[in-house]
Amino acid sequence: MTLIKCKQITKHYYRGSEQITPLKGLDLEIQRGSFVALMGPSGSGKTTLLNLLAGIDTVSEGELIIDNEQIHNFSKNKLASWRADHIGYIFQLYNLVPVLTAYENVEIPLLLHSINRNERHERVSDALENVGIADRYNHYPRQLSGGQEQRVAIARAIVSNPTILLADEPTGDLDRETGTAIMDLLKSLQEKQGQTIVMVTHDPQTTKWADTVLHLEKGQLIEQEVRS
Amino acid sequence: MKLLPIEYATRNLGRSPSRLILTVFGSSLVVLLIMIAAGFMVGMDATLNVSGSDKNIMLLGAGSLESVERSEVKMESSGIVSSSIKGYKTKAGVEGVSPEVHIQIPIDIQGEDRLVLIRGVEPEAFLVHERVEIEYGSLPRAGHNELLVGSLATRTLGYGKPKDALGKTILLDDDSYAITGVMVACGGIIEGEIWAPLSDLLVTTQRDTLSCIVVAIDEESGGTRSQLDGFAASRVDLELAAISEREYYAALAEFYKPIQLMVVMTCLMIAIGGLLGGFNSTYAAFASRVREVGTLQTLGYTRSAITFSLIQESILTASTGAIIASTIALVAIDGYTIRFSMGTFTLLITTEIVTLGIASGLALGVIGAIAPVIRCLRLPIPQSLRASE
Repeated sequence: MTLIKCKQITKHYYRGSEQITPLKGLDLEIQRGSFVALMGPSGSGKTTLLNLLAGIDTVSEGELIIDNEQIHNFSKNKLASWRADHIGYIFQLYNLVPVLTAYENVEIPLLLHSINRNERHERVSDALENVGIADRYNHYPRQLSGGQEQRVAIARAIVSNPTILLADEPTGDLDRETGTAIMDLLKSLQEKQGQTIVMVTHDPQTTKWADTVLHLEKGQLIEQEVRS
Repeated sequence: MKLLPIEYATRNLGRSPSRLILTVFGSSLVVLLIMIAAGFMVGMDATLNVSGSDKNIMLLGAGSLESVERSEVKMESSGIVSSSIKGYKTKAGVEGVSPEVHIQIPIDIQGEDRLVLIRGVEPEAFLVHERVEIEYGSLPRAGHNELLVGSLATRTLGYGKPKDALGKTILLDDDSYAITGVMVACGGIIEGEIWAPLSDLLVTTQRDTLSCIVVAIDEESGGTRSQLDGFAASRVDLELAAISEREYYAALAEFYKPIQLMVVMTCLMIAIGGLLGGFNSTYAAFASRVREVGTLQTLGYTRSAITFSLIQESILTASTGAIIASTIALVAIDGYTIRFSMGTFTLLITTEIVTLGIASGLALGVIGAIAPVIRCLRLPIPQSLRASE
């Protein structure tokens, strides 16, 4: 079942007076429950596409339909509320809030929902348990290793049961062993919970966890590799 | 709008202790200066406002209406004024006509010469200046070189408590005077003065003229201001001019307006320096969190929610500064004695000034956050996420 539909998406922005077009008339469909890796050289448009899917950037032309909602027509505030409901985002550098504990970092997206304290506690605890970091719940980011920080970031991304989990080079700042553990974790979220995952990566090794690999170049989809 | 938890704002304060201290110091400096400027104006106005009475008319030397200290009135004028006009306030047969000498004399206080206003008076002065009360001690006796000191003047003389001045001696132009009493005058300018018997002061200063004659008119007995104006105009030989005490002190207050303005301007200029310093550190504090702000937006927080949180943070810092400033103002500034040419007044930190200080702190928090918040939130989210920490 199609979850994400991109129709002739173009994105322009300006650097000074120069117009940059990182995406040019991109057509794309992503199925619900799939694990998609976006690959391509720098400037191919993969991060721009991820930003559009996350609703943190808007298309210049074309249509972007996610879960039957035409998000290209959304206002900034509507997009913010839509992000809170539908998107979990994992950053390469984790982007945890340094003044909040692991527990509070994971709780922060839930404060955007009308959820009582008990349920919040249950969901945060479950998320931390899911990513194997429950014993570090009261640690601040500075007290965690890179891999642990990324686990907390994943817990934060999944705690509100998002429609799509987006990951921007989630292992880019980790050593190989930790990176593998993180990829295993993402894969298990897909397999056990049916989570749709779209991941940007430079590393061909990490694509082995994905079931679809999309190759972008100069803002266009040049190859779609579906693995069994 | 769903807001960020308050813990986010409070804990952010501790991110950089040195920056926090700088910002709190900046805001407390600004608020303290605002309160000092306001306390200066209120204190001076309060002193001058309670110092005059419409029923007291001052007869000064013609041409010296603006300064009683420069005024010279012939000694015999007092008797002539008393006998020529009816309608003075009287008590036990004593008429409210007070011949006075106002003179500033340097007094050696702990090795430093301080100018203090000495007023030479007769007993009638207590009938004319009805607000004056002896708080401690007794009236000075003529011929004994004794003094009555205003409660604020005791501070000028270096005494911690007014009562401590009793029995002490001071030198006026090489003549030794003993302090026999401390007076109060409802916060009026007299509290900053020293009163001596007129005859003793005339001897000490080798003076043979008065500064003024202050008369208390009694309207019920037919006394009017116009009578005194008419008297001054008709007795050209005495070279007198009449002005009500209230008008005199109002003119004095007007004279000091530029000084008040200068104090306010000086405080404002220093405050602006503190304000800019505070802005700068707030700016730096927020600018270093652009990526974090982008992350919060990615999670679904609106710009309004983040703005609210950052302003909360700024208000917390500025109001901490305001509380520190208010405490310093109440403990160390309230009642601080300022000497000026006409006497002494105290800086008054009233409830209104404390409210002004706290409100300034809150305003500072909001205003100080605006530019950094705009800087933090103006970037599109993808660019914010690329910003360095």
